[in-house]
Amino acid sequence: MAAKPVRKGIHVDHSELLCKKGCGYYGNPAWHGYCSKCWREEYSKARHRQIKEDRELAERLQKEEEAAYASSSSSSTTTTSRPIAFSKFEEKKTQEKARKVNTVKKFFTTSKTPSKRSMLLCCPNNFTMVRQHSVESSQAAGEFQEFLKLLRKPAAQDILKRCRACIEGIAVFILLPMFSFQPFNNFAFAGSLPEQVEKTMDNVEKYIMTRLYKHVFCPESTEDEKKDLAIQKRIRALHWVTPQMLGVPINESSPQVIDMVEKAITDIIEMDSKRVPQDKLACITRCSKHIFNALRVSQNEPASADDFLPTLIHVVIRANPPRLQSNLQYITRFCHPNRLMTGEAGYYFTNLCCAVAFIEKLDAQSLSLTEEEFDRYMSGNASPRRPTQEPSSLVDELSACPVLAPLHTNLLDLQELEKQQCQLESNAADLDRALVAWDGSVAQEVANVARKLPPKVQASISSFPLLLAEVAASPSGPLDSEVEDSITLPPPLLPQPAGS
Amino acid sequence: MNTQRVDVKLVLLGREYSGKTSLVERFVFDRFSCTPYQSTIGNAFVAKRMEAKGKNLTLGIWDTAGSERYEAMTRIYYRGAQAAVVCFDLTENTSFQRAKFWVNELLNCEEHCRVYLCATKADLVGDKMARKVDLHDMHDYAEEMKAQLFETSSKTGQNVHELFQKIADDCAEKLVFTDQTPRGVNITKDAKREMARCCVK
Repeated sequence: MAAKPVRKGIHVDHSELLCKKGCGYYGNPAWHGYCSKCWREEYSKARHRQIKEDRELAERLQKEEEAAYASSSSSSTTTTSRPIAFSKFEEKKTQEKARKVNTVKKFFTTSKTPSKRSMLLCCPNNFTMVRQHSVESSQAAGEFQEFLKLLRKPAAQDILKRCRACIEGIAVFILLPMFSFQPFNNFAFAGSLPEQVEKTMDNVEKYIMTRLYKHVFCPESTEDEKKDLAIQKRIRALHWVTPQMLGVPINESSPQVIDMVEKAITDIIEMDSKRVPQDKLACITRCSKHIFNALRVSQNEPASADDFLPTLIHVVIRANPPRLQSNLQYITRFCHPNRLMTGEAGYYFTNLCCAVAFIEKLDAQSLSLTEEEFDRYMSGNASPRRPTQEPSSLVDELSACPVLAPLHTNLLDLQELEKQQCQLESNAADLDRALVAWDGSVAQEVANVARKLPPKVQASISSFPLLLAEVAASPSGPLDSEVEDSITLPPPLLPQPAGS
Repeated sequence: MNTQRVDVKLVLLGREYSGKTSLVERFVFDRFSCTPYQSTIGNAFVAKRMEAKGKNLTLGIWDTAGSERYEAMTRIYYRGAQAAVVCFDLTENTSFQRAKFWVNELLNCEEHCRVYLCATKADLVGDKMARKVDLHDMHDYAEEMKAQLFETSSKTGQNVHELFQKIADDCAEKLVFTDQTPRGVNITKDAKREMARCCVK
């Protein structure tokens, strides 16, 4: 393109405003100083030149590419673009094609031995970079950046770099079957305090796991989801298990204890909503602490494991936490093993695993019931809370749980109502039968009476229904007067005793 | 949740009423459950700092439910434990038989776990009649299994601290060994880009 004219001051020379080609029309800076007509000419020339060059380039690349493919394995040809006669295409398409070929080419120039795996690495990587992050992800990223500001500069940058590489790498490897992931395990941060290291690890975990949650929680390659449903169904079927059966030593009549048990239930349900393994563990720990509090209030002494485990089982059955198995598996797979194996949270987590294992294997013996009772309760034909036992034990049970009391009275009321309903129904049936019988007897009676009367009266009686219809059809006059006026009617019958 | 760092996982095994909880209580709070207390909310899990061989280390003591209905799940508890104390009641022979079962399980499943036998309620066997577990049987068995045997009483505090001190000493030795392997990378320096294959592991 030609150089732009140099301007001096505010004054603009008239010649500068004219088209550079000297056609006499005014030029425009947007058209590089040409008038619209000349600019179009110039531009289309340049374009044609560009297109030509592009085409040549594309053809060259195409050839190179084909050569590369021929030398590499012939199997991975799914993504190759096939040779196309470019002359048939319009200009725009040609340009696009050239760009595409260029990109494909780039993939292969970066790695000298193109293989399926490198393709796999390239594509999803690009994908994760443009992917929209969820709210939690961006929040975690922000928090992590904040934390890193507290660290020394080079260390912080290194950690962030590693984390990012890790996330992108894992997001790709999710496509592969299950893997074990402990990238930072073999790291000790020389010269740092153990607390500092721990804190760093926590933050790294928080960041990575929040970002990766969607990929690694309940992955499709495992059977977690199926197990989730199985355990959920199982717990639902076990709703009838009473604390007494499990040997739970909590006092369910105290509102304080009930409140704590409710809190424990809330905490364990909340576990599913957390993304980071340590947050999930914290939920379990909180739940356990509430249980211990409930036990202490009930028994007036610190609880031992003998009390704690049954209570935890009771809480799990009552809560039926969503996606329980997936959550346990997720924590097992991704939580820092040290934390899981030795610490306090690890202890509670182990207890929870134990509780779930117990629920899965639970049978009549472990509840000290007979097989028959167990089967009946499982099938829903009987409930241990229904008043099928002797009244004394029922009263005990009711006093043990105030929630049950109104339920029980309601149940009794319903039973009473049902009884009355039955009574009403049978009475109605009796009445129905009596009415039918009475109807028949009346007809019989009338026939009997009619047989004793003279034939004329008989005829008029037999025409009685007709007459009635006439009376009903007559538009005016009260019924009685109408009947009296009728001459065809016999004198009114005198009442007679039925027996005669 | 501020999680305390714990170095050693120590599991308590034993039948119901074999004195596991009392043992922990005597060791950690130095008291016996006849007296009322308020401060703790539970001692199913206790972390106790100890000094052993000139090192500070924290024992995480895991109490387990001894009831037979949870027997099948016990394995979940002692997975990865560095030490296990198997308790049995000197006044009850069946608890000793159960203890044998657990020792076997431990030796089969957790080869790195040290096993300590703990005969509890020693204060009750002052007269020979109350003792239901034969002294010689007990010692022979411990020797056979290469397990350390302690006769303790949580009521009087006899041998309780000795037992845990021994465990701490043994574990401290082990910890020194693992701690000295230098596998660290100084993150303040320009670390090599070996993390690029972090997920292939």
